[in-house]
Amino acid sequence: METITNAHLFGIFLTVGCFYLISLVRRKSGFNWLNPLLLSTVIIICILVLGEIPYEHYMKGGGVIHALLGPVTVVLALPLYRHRRLLVEHKYSIIGGIVSGVVSAIVSVIVLSRLLGMNEFLERSLIGHSVTTPIGIGLSDMLQANEGITIISIMITGLLGASIAPFMLKLLRVTHPVAKGLSIGTSSHALGTTKAIEMGETEGAMSGLAIGVAALTTVLIVILLQFMGWY
Amino acid sequence: MKVFKQLFIILGINLAGDLLSRYLHLPIPGSITGMILLLVLLLTGVLKEKHIRETADFMIQNMGFFFIPATVGVLVSYHALDGYYFQTALVVVLSTVIVLSVTALSTQLLINLKEKWKR
Repeated sequence: METITNAHLFGIFLTVGCFYLISLVRRKSGFNWLNPLLLSTVIIICILVLGEIPYEHYMKGGGVIHALLGPVTVVLALPLYRHRRLLVEHKYSIIGGIVSGVVSAIVSVIVLSRLLGMNEFLERSLIGHSVTTPIGIGLSDMLQANEGITIISIMITGLLGASIAPFMLKLLRVTHPVAKGLSIGTSSHALGTTKAIEMGETEGAMSGLAIGVAALTTVLIVILLQFMGWY
Repeated sequence: MKVFKQLFIILGINLAGDLLSRYLHLPIPGSITGMILLLVLLLTGVLKEKHIRETADFMIQNMGFFFIPATVGVLVSYHALDGYYFQTALVVVLSTVIVLSVTALSTQLLINLKEKWKR
């Protein structure tokens, strides 16, 4: 067994297999609420735990797929380019919306953490929960926080954002595709963007735009906070 | 051939972004620098949409797949939260709901204000 699991092929096969089979079930059954990413994650974790397969074995192949997150982020420029007119038309609304979202992210983490009596170390680890993983890790380092906690918080945020966004936006009566996309990208980065892309091309493009702008804004605000001696 | 050409361009831009971020000491990761770089290349017409279209669309439409190993990584890092599971989950969930609502409502408000202004 060890010879099979401790090879690049194992992680790649397991990931491709799970994602394909769940997507297939989703298409055939019409259950659009099935989230292939969330379900694949749960199934792979179960297989690793029940099969007593070390995480390092899975990540031999998993790391290959993980490395492709770089190019996947790069090509998010394409939907932006396709919607460049919309971008210019709504530039002030876009900047205003993203900046208010980023400020609310940082303020809400600080206020909630203090209300719940969490230590400052945890609070610092959660500051970047809404930004894209690579920047979140960078922020965590800047704040001398725990990278692992930051990654978990980013994953929970992304999965949550992707699942509640359609419902929340309906509840708040937000109908403009620009507002929908921006709010998803600002709150739940690239993971939420997978849902925004399903909602429509404009939503997807705006969500993709928000990932980059929100992440940059968060970094700038944290630098400012550090400069002011807050952290 | 086409897929290789497109991959070559996309990976090249990612690599260029990594180099720029590292050597200019930018506070943003190379993939984001690469995204900005690709946008600039498309806007200036140096690259055409057809140079990356099929590969880029495949990656965007199946983005969830590329996140699976990162989310499986929770399996090894959850211990750091010992004793604070409930509080952490509560902060993250509430904060996400707040950010989503604030961004959506403020953007919609600004767009509506602008459209009223125009009339």
